[in-house]
Amino acid sequence: MAPQDRLTSTLERPESTVAPLLQVEGLRVAYGGHEVVRGVDLELGAGRSLALIGESGSGKSTIAKALLRLLPTGGKASGRVELAGRALLELPERHFRRLRGRTIGFVPQDPGNALNPVRTIGAQALEAAELVDELAKPDRRAAVLETFAQVGLADPERVFLSYPHQLSGGMLQRVLIGLAVLPRPALLVADEPTSALDVTIQKRILDLLSELREGLGISLLLITHDLAIAAERADSLLVLKDGVAQETGPTAEVFAAPSSDYARRLHADVPALNPDRYAQLRDLGRAGAPKIEVVAVTKSFGSLTAVDDVSFSVPAGTTHALVGESGSGKTTAIRLLSGLEQPDSGRIAVAGEELRGRSHASLRSVRRHLQLVYQNPFTSLDPLWKVERLVREPLDRYRIGSPRERDELVRETLTAVGLGEHLVSRRPSALSGGQRQRVAIARALVLRPDVLVLDEPTSALDVTVQADIVETLLRLQAEQGLTYVFVSHDLSLVRQLAHTVSVMRRGRVVEQGTVAQIFDSPQEEYTRTLLDSLPVGAS
Amino acid sequence: MSRGYLPFALRRAGQAVLVILLAYVATFVVISVLPGDPVTATLRNPQNGFTEEQIARIVSYYGLDRPVLVQLWEALSRFVTGDLGVSLRSNRPVADMIGEVVPSTLVLAGASLGLALLLAFGIAFGVRYLPRPFGPALRSVPSLFLSVPGFLVGLLLIQIFSFGLGLFRAIDADSPWATFFAALTLGVWVSAQVAEVLIANLDREAEQDYAGVARARGLGQARLLLRHLLKPSALPVVTVLAVMIGEVLGGAVITEAVFGRTGLGSLVESSVASQDLPVLQAVVSLAAVVFVLVNLLADLVYPLLDPRVTVVRPEARVAVA
Repeated sequence: MAPQDRLTSTLERPESTVAPLLQVEGLRVAYGGHEVVRGVDLELGAGRSLALIGESGSGKSTIAKALLRLLPTGGKASGRVELAGRALLELPERHFRRLRGRTIGFVPQDPGNALNPVRTIGAQALEAAELVDELAKPDRRAAVLETFAQVGLADPERVFLSYPHQLSGGMLQRVLIGLAVLPRPALLVADEPTSALDVTIQKRILDLLSELREGLGISLLLITHDLAIAAERADSLLVLKDGVAQETGPTAEVFAAPSSDYARRLHADVPALNPDRYAQLRDLGRAGAPKIEVVAVTKSFGSLTAVDDVSFSVPAGTTHALVGESGSGKTTAIRLLSGLEQPDSGRIAVAGEELRGRSHASLRSVRRHLQLVYQNPFTSLDPLWKVERLVREPLDRYRIGSPRERDELVRETLTAVGLGEHLVSRRPSALSGGQRQRVAIARALVLRPDVLVLDEPTSALDVTVQADIVETLLRLQAEQGLTYVFVSHDLSLVRQLAHTVSVMRRGRVVEQGTVAQIFDSPQEEYTRTLLDSLPVGAS
Repeated sequence: MSRGYLPFALRRAGQAVLVILLAYVATFVVISVLPGDPVTATLRNPQNGFTEEQIARIVSYYGLDRPVLVQLWEALSRFVTGDLGVSLRSNRPVADMIGEVVPSTLVLAGASLGLALLLAFGIAFGVRYLPRPFGPALRSVPSLFLSVPGFLVGLLLIQIFSFGLGLFRAIDADSPWATFFAALTLGVWVSAQVAEVLIANLDREAEQDYAGVARARGLGQARLLLRHLLKPSALPVVTVLAVMIGEVLGGAVITEAVFGRTGLGSLVESSVASQDLPVLQAVVSLAAVVFVLVNLLADLVYPLLDPRVTVVRPEARVAVA
């Protein structure tokens, strides 16, 4: 068959099959003696979509790996898994291998690491084309190029000849989706296919998946931590916690009336579904005189202008959000704000003190008033230090108070961020992600700064944990009158938390205003695109 | 990659030349601070039968009557033009003496590198794909190889295959079998280091996301290894091998002594014994040249093999925030 015919003809599948395509009963997966999936049942009809929802450690990715029989060594799956009437777990490996790619396609989480870095994309794509038995060798390349065009890659020839590091994350994910659908599998397993991508790209990738599913009649098992995405993209849901199904059913039903406590909690914690959850808490504090003033700041690196004529001002006691996709200049903006970079032109003032043209020593005294909380608490804390020492370090550095007073301050601050006494002598490895981020916040707060710069402070955390951290941050703001600069790509979260917003794109501020102005009546095309990319949940 | 490759290559080549010159100077300094005056001691040794006139000529040829810095400058100038001087012992040009023994050492080094690669890749593949308990057991082979001294391996091989099985005559050092076992002696040791790097890299690459995704694409273990894991795992071996060249040259001295081969190693051995300084200076400088050139080659080839490696100077890179 010529590649064109193959691609235009959709696979013929019976409209209503009696048995579902994928049927899983009592699936259990254990590592050693430790069970991470404990008796999960699920069903997925031909051409339908099912979302597996859960937070880290819920076992959702393990289920995907168990279906593909790619569990790491030591992992053992039991139970009954039937795909189109064949029991998968009992098949000998060499028989099962024929199903991988051909019958079950896989779209991975992080496109940046999912292709071999030292081979061209084309060489790897031909492997997928090899799986199509009726495709003769000379036609494979054409089939690959056709598929690339189909998944929306503008220049298939160039992509074919490129190495993975030469393409963006969104393009790589298109490539990977293309490779997965090229052999026309009956089932596509997508493991968090968009969590490593920017929002606007996220939407396009999800649209592509929906399109391919409808066009080619492929069933989709979508694994995600994002309830809003699941609600928007799947026919039915399965909510997982600790390896046990909490709730399952058609999406609309689960959304209209979640029956389990966990599903209700999850529902309440997703920012996209609850834009006004913290409105009251957020508006407790009173806005004061401008605490931060950034006027016409520009910063270039070589020929790249990372921050271009950016201005904003933040009243004391309020939160200003910098929103934008990767490469928008957010990170450079906060490096400038904290004095880690010097602007080429423009002025920055924090609490009335000019940052520009200062010596290192006098920047240090400004930094005492402006502290940073980093994105990833899994890498920002020294793994060998105990909590007490981590939080105490800034006090020692700035020689604040007597040792006894320092102890007192550490304890006070830990209590303020909601960490109990019993945690002070633990090391980061013995803390959960949420606890680690609390330590990072405590570390910043212990100096009693006026301003906290929060660089995507919850993006590495689960939604329920994120909700706790957000609540803590808002409470601290109300109690201590803190000013926040909040950097995020998550618009829903910004809406819950910020008072004012700057939308950034390619180093420039494209739109600025209060949360209500930006979200309810965006003036700029780009802002509208960003807002449209947000999953809207079940309608 | 192509952008900036030529400046990169020129820069590296310039550095290489500098290193070679520095190595020559360093050798010269070490030799000239050595205690005693072996040169005049050798020349005045009645057994060598130099006349005073000859001695005076040799002394002035080497400029031994002049300040050390001047001597260094002249020796360096001769070295740059390829004049390696004259042996104190045999009174022959050092370049000729080295030229005679180099082919034999090249054969030994080449064969041992070939054998080392075969062994290393064999071990690494075996570790991954032989069934239990053989595969895991192979993991301990490299450390075993590393912990046995080279001369012992050589003596054992001679004992077993020459004296025991009569496969070759230990006296006839240049026979194919003798060469093979000499190369094996040297290669076993080199292979251990290459195998360790290879095993570790294969383990690491197999854990990468892309390996899992490739398997989900239907690749079996054999194809996964050959198409995906091998190249990224083997690339660092280029660097390891380049560094190992020094060890091969060093190991050749011992191996040649054990197997009674003539070569650079035996030349070094005899010139150390007879304090033939011009020969030593030349051999050490030659070793430096080989080492530097091989590493230069590795540096120049690496960016061509690994598409991720860029050759742009760090400061020219743009920090994208």
